[in-house]
Amino acid sequence: MTPTGRLLTATAVSALVASGAAAQEINIYLIPSPSSDAIQSFIPAFEEETGIRVNVTETPYGEAHQKLLLSVQLGQGQYDVAQFDNTFLAPFGAAGTMMALDDYIAGSEAYDISDFSEGSQEYGMFDGESLGLVLSTEPMILWYRTDLFEELGLDVPETWEDYRAAAQAISEAGLGDGNILGWGPNASWWFMTLIWSFGGQLYDADLVPQVNTPEAVAGITFFKDMLAYGPEGGISSSGDDTTNKFLSQDIGMMVQYSGYWGVALEPENSAFVGNIATAKMPLGTVDITHLAGWNIGIPSDAQNPDEAWQFLEFVLGRDNAVDYLLAGAAAIGRKSVLDNPELLAIHPYLPLLDIPETSRIERYPQLRVWPELEKAILDALPAILTGEVEVQAGLDALNEVMGPILAQETAE
Amino acid sequence: MPRAMPRGLSLEQATRRLAVLLVLPTWVLLILVFALPLAGAIWLSFRNETLGSFVTPRFIGWENYRGAFADPRFWESIRTTLFFMVAGLAIQLPLGIGLALLLHRNLRGTAFFRSALIVPMLLTPVAVGLMWRFMLDADFGIINWALRHVIDSPPNWLGARIPARFAVVMVDSWISIPFVMLMVLAGLSSLPRGPAEAAAIDGAGPLAIFVFITLPSLVPVILVIVMIRVVDVVKLFDILFIVTQRGGPGTATQTLGLLTYNTGFIFFQTSRAAALGVLLTLMVIPIYFIWRRVGRAP
Repeated sequence: MTPTGRLLTATAVSALVASGAAAQEINIYLIPSPSSDAIQSFIPAFEEETGIRVNVTETPYGEAHQKLLLSVQLGQGQYDVAQFDNTFLAPFGAAGTMMALDDYIAGSEAYDISDFSEGSQEYGMFDGESLGLVLSTEPMILWYRTDLFEELGLDVPETWEDYRAAAQAISEAGLGDGNILGWGPNASWWFMTLIWSFGGQLYDADLVPQVNTPEAVAGITFFKDMLAYGPEGGISSSGDDTTNKFLSQDIGMMVQYSGYWGVALEPENSAFVGNIATAKMPLGTVDITHLAGWNIGIPSDAQNPDEAWQFLEFVLGRDNAVDYLLAGAAAIGRKSVLDNPELLAIHPYLPLLDIPETSRIERYPQLRVWPELEKAILDALPAILTGEVEVQAGLDALNEVMGPILAQETAE
Repeated sequence: MPRAMPRGLSLEQATRRLAVLLVLPTWVLLILVFALPLAGAIWLSFRNETLGSFVTPRFIGWENYRGAFADPRFWESIRTTLFFMVAGLAIQLPLGIGLALLLHRNLRGTAFFRSALIVPMLLTPVAVGLMWRFMLDADFGIINWALRHVIDSPPNWLGARIPARFAVVMVDSWISIPFVMLMVLAGLSSLPRGPAEAAAIDGAGPLAIFVFITLPSLVPVILVIVMIRVVDVVKLFDILFIVTQRGGPGTATQTLGLLTYNTGFIFFQTSRAAALGVLLTLMVIPIYFIWRRVGRAP
């Protein structure tokens, strides 16, 4: 054999050996957040245990999902693990961005899917496939100021009517604003919640919009009415602003995702540390739990899916669940950790993550066109909330706008 | 010793060839970063591509353009863009010219104010946006805190349609007035003193001198300012993104540029966004021709 021939043969053999060997490094794609920080804190231990090097790319929320979509559509195989917001599950599912994890999950004792409530088990599912693991469990819950409630002898509201009465009592007593909901740029979170809770729905099984039904009108009328017991700036408050105002002004109650709890513990963010408690979201005509949170999965073009799963199993497996939450991550509703005293001291709302079977779990609509639908809702709401148009008329008009958008979902 | 000219070429031909060679890299660069993307956007605008679907894209003709013209949000965004142009210029031009006239008089402290007044221009728009968002907050904001000493119920700047539009004009003006001022100041410095001095000797007052001599002389500068500001408003994005959080409340401050962004990067409707982008470009093209005409004016 000539020297050139020997060189070619050696190269070919090396390539064959390399292709059969386990990957020595994986690339993970994270979005800056407490969960992302917690994931990264496990990397040294994972690298030591497996010898697989982990490279991290962090991209801000505003562009993270678009960048991941583009990367996968170009088939670059850039990332082996990717974090994403559950609101993008449907667009990602429709675009084939994430790999189905069902086989991995079913064969993993370390991950132990049975440790999650049934609703949480389905949290990363799109079209019957698990495209993401649960990275955080963040139901909408009631937050209230214990000092104000004690001063007025109020009970924790169990229904929306109790909530209205408590808000009114706090406002009329001159102790501050009665409540805050997000009436501003993220109003869709509360819009959905209240429509579901009052027995309505955004659209039916045939994707026909339903936001002008009597139930939906009742929910949004309540949403609008509560504005009168809120701070003046509530109408322009984003989801973050809503929490910031609740934590820095005298406001009796807030309905908000539990994932914001972390900031309520920090004296630099919260003027009322120790005076805030949480409870189940008040009941409407239907018992619903509006669930949100992060997912994490393996992009469909990942080059090292097995090693990626190894990493996910290591960080999010049952054995590391307590350590993961102690590392500062937003809480995950694993049944095995919900009564852990050490965790309860940090996340007192943990028991609320054990969502009873009687409560119907609702999450962001799993629609490819959801971002456009959400924008239509956000465009219509200010006029309804400020009384420029009657609730029924405003929702009738919104219903008209939603029709063509929903029609795109099934159109080619 | 100079190199010999290529055989068979005259000096003029050789010079032209050299000029072409020197300009070529710029043309290549322009084609790569400008012409090709623009051509790509035009091509995309005639298809039905979306980022959020693997459905095979196809050519759909003028459908995206027809959709844009039939969408009330498109027309509203144009009205909003025009409002920001007109209202912005109505505030920025008089104030910018006024400040320039003051600074041109070299009064005491002029050097300090000349530096201080350009600070808004030097700040990042995102930082400016965040600062103004907090200042305009109805609960915490310093603006409404101050206004409450004067009026009972100050406007909810970011929560109501009309105040939000004026809030954007206010923030944009805060950033842009220094630019207008600097341009006019440069224009004033280049004006000959003779005509104004002769008018003063003939008994003309300061107002008459300004209206009949200074202002007409500044018209070319003002036209350039108007065109730059018009283009700036068409491109206005960061302030809207931060201060009114992507054009809110509702669609109150959604310009055509923002609608294009929302369509492309929030709804993932790439082809529809490309059509909006092409329309936006077509809207700006006449400004280029006006600019050229102004440039040629004596």
